[in-house]
Amino acid sequence: MSKKVLVVDDDPDVRLFSVNVLEENGYTPIEATDGEEGMKFVKKEKPDLILLDVLMPKESGVRLYRNLKTDAALKKIPVIMLSGIARKSFLRSQKVLTQFGGAEIPEPDAYLEKPVEPEELAKTIKKVIG
Amino acid sequence: MEIKKLLFVTKFEQLCFDALQSLLNLQEAALTHVVFLNVIERDKVAMYRTGYKKDEEIRLRERANIRFIDWAENLFEQGMEVGVYIVVGTLVSQVIKSAQKEETDLIVIGRPQKGVLEQLYSGSDVVELLRRASTPVLVYKHTSEGGKISDKPFERPMLAIDWSPASMKAAEYLKNLNNIIQQIDVIHVASEKALAGTSAMEIQKTRKEIRNRLDEICDSFEAEGISARSHVYIGDPDEEIEKAARECQATLIVLGSSAKAAWMERWLGSTPRTIAEKSAFSTLLIPPEQK
Repeated sequence: MSKKVLVVDDDPDVRLFSVNVLEENGYTPIEATDGEEGMKFVKKEKPDLILLDVLMPKESGVRLYRNLKTDAALKKIPVIMLSGIARKSFLRSQKVLTQFGGAEIPEPDAYLEKPVEPEELAKTIKKVIG
Repeated sequence: MEIKKLLFVTKFEQLCFDALQSLLNLQEAALTHVVFLNVIERDKVAMYRTGYKKDEEIRLRERANIRFIDWAENLFEQGMEVGVYIVVGTLVSQVIKSAQKEETDLIVIGRPQKGVLEQLYSGSDVVELLRRASTPVLVYKHTSEGGKISDKPFERPMLAIDWSPASMKAAEYLKNLNNIIQQIDVIHVASEKALAGTSAMEIQKTRKEIRNRLDEICDSFEAEGISARSHVYIGDPDEEIEKAARECQATLIVLGSSAKAAWMERWLGSTPRTIAEKSAFSTLLIPPEQK
């Protein structure tokens, strides 16, 4: 059975791009349009990997990532961040939230800044979940 | 009625990041989440002669996206939650839709910069928004009368009270901001007619009664730790509120939004909407309770 990958991004063009890359490489894609919907799908589908955008309506990738990594049942699901937001801003935001009293959380398995080439995305996914 | 989440509506002309930064001390009250909204007006991408210009939509979307990424990075790094909407449509409908979807506590919008002819044909987006929004609306203005930019709009607000349920609700709304309000001036503009007594004694008696009612509101602010002063003005509300804001050196005018029906407003006018549109001061409008 092919591995399930959840794509959480509000941009339909990015979702289409990611879905194409995933299908071409033998994975089963699932789509969510924002962080809130993303969390619902994570709990329901238990994906093998999450491709996560940062800047989205409803709930950002910053919060969703934190919620995933502080949930005992979900924290082992690997996450690849795929965003226009710079990696250092994402990491700083997590650091600030930790300083505000949150838990210390690990860095994502990979961080790709948009736009990304299909080969680079496929290679990164393969490296993370095989 | 805390301000936890605000919707920042921008066309990148009237409202930019400096305006948002001046509102960030709301974090000391309750603000944790900012949602950006950019509405690409239909007439910019859908032309009668040439049809839908997809390329133009992509260009405008990406232009907005680049600005929002930059702003969001700054806010994320401060530990804030950020959301974004870039949509094609009509401004007021999209603002209402986004505010409902995100359940925001405040809408921030710039003053319209339309010409006389444009206003005649399309009306004012701000007036339309104030009429339809069930969320408080801050009409942000960069320059006050003296040409100074207020870097903390909530530091010294002036609340204009007309005893309507909406203006009493505005008073309650401001009490939640006791961490950031330094001083508040509470005013009431009495009409010449209301003070038309037969003797000076009678006029002074009416003034005293108004003053006492205002003092009660001031006392309730003081109880929340906000220093408050009351003032009575007489005359045309539109002119007197503006004058009072200058005299009080206010950073913001706060009013309860009128509950008049649209047709009635056209005939009788509406002080909150006139102030929101024409005053030199940023204006916060609190809508009445929805029935």
